[in-house]
Amino acid sequence: MASVDILQTLGNKYSAEILDATDEPASAQELSDELGIPIATCYRRIDELTEHGLLELHDNILSDDRRRIKVYRRSVEEVRVGFDDGLSVNVEERSEITNKLDEAWRTLSEG
Amino acid sequence: MIELTKTGIDGLDGILNGGIVTNSTTLVSGNPGAGKSILGLQYIYSGVEQFDEKGIYLSFEENESDLREAAESIGFDRWPEHVESDDIKVYDKQVLLRENDFSSSIELLLDDLKNDDYDRLVLDSLTMFELFFDNEKEKRTYLLKFTDILSNNELTTLMTNEQGAVFPDTDIGLENYLTDGNIYLIQTPTDAGVNRYLWVAKMRKQDIETDIYPMEISWGGIDVHENASAFSMMSEEDSPI
Repeated sequence: MASVDILQTLGNKYSAEILDATDEPASAQELSDELGIPIATCYRRIDELTEHGLLELHDNILSDDRRRIKVYRRSVEEVRVGFDDGLSVNVEERSEITNKLDEAWRTLSEG
Repeated sequence: MIELTKTGIDGLDGILNGGIVTNSTTLVSGNPGAGKSILGLQYIYSGVEQFDEKGIYLSFEENESDLREAAESIGFDRWPEHVESDDIKVYDKQVLLRENDFSSSIELLLDDLKNDDYDRLVLDSLTMFELFFDNEKEKRTYLLKFTDILSNNELTTLMTNEQGAVFPDTDIGLENYLTDGNIYLIQTPTDAGVNRYLWVAKMRKQDIETDIYPMEISWGGIDVHENASAFSMMSEEDSPI
């Protein structure tokens, strides 16, 4: 069971939108542009979500002007909050299989 | 010049004008009992016996002993020897579904692929493989990634698929578009038993015969009678794929 702290993080403005938009890996700048989030806030939310294991650093990709850019991908599929047997927060993580295939596929392009 | 991989099934290689494109992925579709697994066994067995190419057989449907019995029942006597010497690597149902831990099997498989030892792969069946993904989009994405990984690791692949032959106006699974080739195995009941047919509906980059050919499963495996084309029902333009 996950910590209740997660709810605070999820409740912050833009958090849910960021997780929604990171099904495929995205950079902070892309998320900021796409979702209309001020860039400083965007970085802060990414840090919080990453700390709580909801988002993960997926890769350092090379940009067109040859800089390294961090891209992030959500590591969860679903968060369930229950009150039936006392407060419970359950996080369903993304499948390991897709992670492994993603990883193997990514190494192809790096030769 | 496109490099071809012989399936080892004479009539089929004839229809394909030499074999399937090396490093491509071909879908073998048919109803249960149509002979998909046998075609897969024969492709892997012939690879070792005739072409000195090692193969990987992934089965979600059967255990290693079932596969061995199936191979021996059609005269592939040296199947167990080849498995023993790792010329044929079998990932059977028990291994793949162990404690629901398919992801660690995938890891082992990916390691095997990187080692460059293997040239041929059979996935029996794609229908089961797809159950590990949550939705249509994910299935599509990961089937494409998986075929990419196989092709880049220089594997020529057959994937079986539980699907009857399709004719115009029926639904065609997306799998058919995502793979490089489509072979259908068709069986029709008769008074005496069943008649079996094979139809190569599509092969990217290849000039193929698109007629439907009679085939038999007997001692020695599958025989396709390429000179006995019973019908010319489908011209290339009519093919639904």
